[in-house]
Amino acid sequence: MHRNYKLNELMVVRCAKEIQDGEVVFAGVGLPLITVTFAMRTHAPNMILLTEGGSIRATAPPGLAITVDDPALFCTGDATSGMLSTMAALQRGEVDVAFIGGAQIDKFGNINSTGVGNWEEATTFTYFAGSGGANDMAASGKRVLAIMPQDPKKFVERVDYVTIPGHKRMNGAAERNGDRICGPSMVVSTMGVYRFDMATGEMVLAEYFPGQSVERIRAHCSFDLKISPDLRETPTPSEDELTTLRSIDPTGFYLG
Amino acid sequence: MAAVKKKTTTLKEAVSSFIDDGDTVYYGGFQIMVPMAITHEIIRQKKKGLKILNASTDAGGLDLLVGAGCVDEMHLAWAMNWYVKAPYAIRRAFQTGRVKRNDISNFGATSALLAGYLGIPFIPVRGNIGSDMITHNTEDLRVIEDPFTGESIPVVRAWRADVAVIHAQRADWLGNVVAWGTRGVTDEFGCMAAKRGVVVTAEEIVDPEVVRSDPDRTVVPYFKTLAVVHCPWGAHPSGCRGYYGVDIRFCQYQGKYERSEELLPFFLDEWIYGCEDHTAYIQKYIAKFGREGLDRLRPKLGFKPKMDVDYGYHDPAVWKGVPQYTDERIKA
Repeated sequence: MHRNYKLNELMVVRCAKEIQDGEVVFAGVGLPLITVTFAMRTHAPNMILLTEGGSIRATAPPGLAITVDDPALFCTGDATSGMLSTMAALQRGEVDVAFIGGAQIDKFGNINSTGVGNWEEATTFTYFAGSGGANDMAASGKRVLAIMPQDPKKFVERVDYVTIPGHKRMNGAAERNGDRICGPSMVVSTMGVYRFDMATGEMVLAEYFPGQSVERIRAHCSFDLKISPDLRETPTPSEDELTTLRSIDPTGFYLG
Repeated sequence: MAAVKKKTTTLKEAVSSFIDDGDTVYYGGFQIMVPMAITHEIIRQKKKGLKILNASTDAGGLDLLVGAGCVDEMHLAWAMNWYVKAPYAIRRAFQTGRVKRNDISNFGATSALLAGYLGIPFIPVRGNIGSDMITHNTEDLRVIEDPFTGESIPVVRAWRADVAVIHAQRADWLGNVVAWGTRGVTDEFGCMAAKRGVVVTAEEIVDPEVVRSDPDRTVVPYFKTLAVVHCPWGAHPSGCRGYYGVDIRFCQYQGKYERSEELLPFFLDEWIYGCEDHTAYIQKYIAKFGREGLDRLRPKLGFKPKMDVDYGYHDPAVWKGVPQYTDERIKA
């Protein structure tokens, strides 16, 4: 099938739609940054953007923010007051959407951005970056969105390191964080959209991208994936959406 | 408390006088404003056994410091060379047991620095609970009972470095450090929490009267500052707000050396040990990649504040000889 878009482009466009106009969104480094910029330039012009670098914005960044303390975030920001001030908004419970990436996710939505292998046997452990602010965002955002390319090494039965606790740990119930549990409400990959069955804490395939099949998605997932009875196809991105998205990342830093 | 005196010095002198083997160091900056010139000088002087405190750090600065064998231990949330998507030297050093890594979240790290800034022993935070960070990093993270509600709440230990190292846009020769655009992210806390004080490199050195004309922008007041070094391009290849953007191509180039244990010594020899100071490093850059490589990093300007403010001193001498205000009720 011929597509006029890349799967990571659809991933961003689809994920952006989960943000409602007017919401307070805390975006982590990587794909969340380009996704929120796209959302602000399209259906969510009144979104409020917070980042770990310490800027608060009512307007879309003037260009692609590659880092969370990027000039694109603090030039023309509404307030640029440092990490303590933006992350304090999370702690106070003022953030509607915590938006994170990750390196591994398991069927209960536990996310790993620290490394793979057994941490306690250092020789086996390969470090990634670490939590950064992802754990804080997931712990205190009212909703957690996660975006990550799909790959059987990323969608695993059990994450090697729990950086961000999900709806349930493998060994029992998740530890409660105040009144809420951290797990994501939605995960968007390069193949589909996942939500969670709140009774079991398990990930459920809710949408598949055009051209993907349940079989193919299952083959790119290392756990026994549950399928929603309301499974549907994700709409393809429009020409306008693709034009806007590509104008945000002209060199393909994130979407190349 | 450091005296009122001229603190300007050379990079070599600042690092040799104020950073000792075994020091706990607050490593400033974030994804930009990485104190790269100081990093190189620490490597040149072959400092050993440093313990690093930081929230998040990019552009491979910490990777070089670890790769060169200067670091024993780190307490942080995130370390990367984002432009090669890995912290290669840190990865190898952890695997061989050469460094101890204590992971915490960004707000956990910020809170630890805030507790240090406040001079209190620990501080409660949300988050971290239920993660493996709290399982593995009991040096920084514990769960206690909230004495008021009886609920469980994570606490983080206060972080107080011996010395802080940062890069800033401007400083004066007394040691007042001026930053704009997110106020140094976490630098104001990391610096103020440092026990001995702060070593700062700055793009420009100004007179104290210039700083005193706009003191809201001072993130580190002079009494915490040990040494000020005039160091243009001092954050390269990371960026410096208003001066230069991230040198993505150089970060990728450096990252290819970070990636390999065999190649890394060649980078250290050519770009650090082989350069007398940061000026020599920048000259080498120009010789190898051309002046246009630096020109490409110049930001688009035109983002000057549109609010012309005046701090407006009011002299209480105007009240001299002015009789008390009164009225009939007060008199009665």
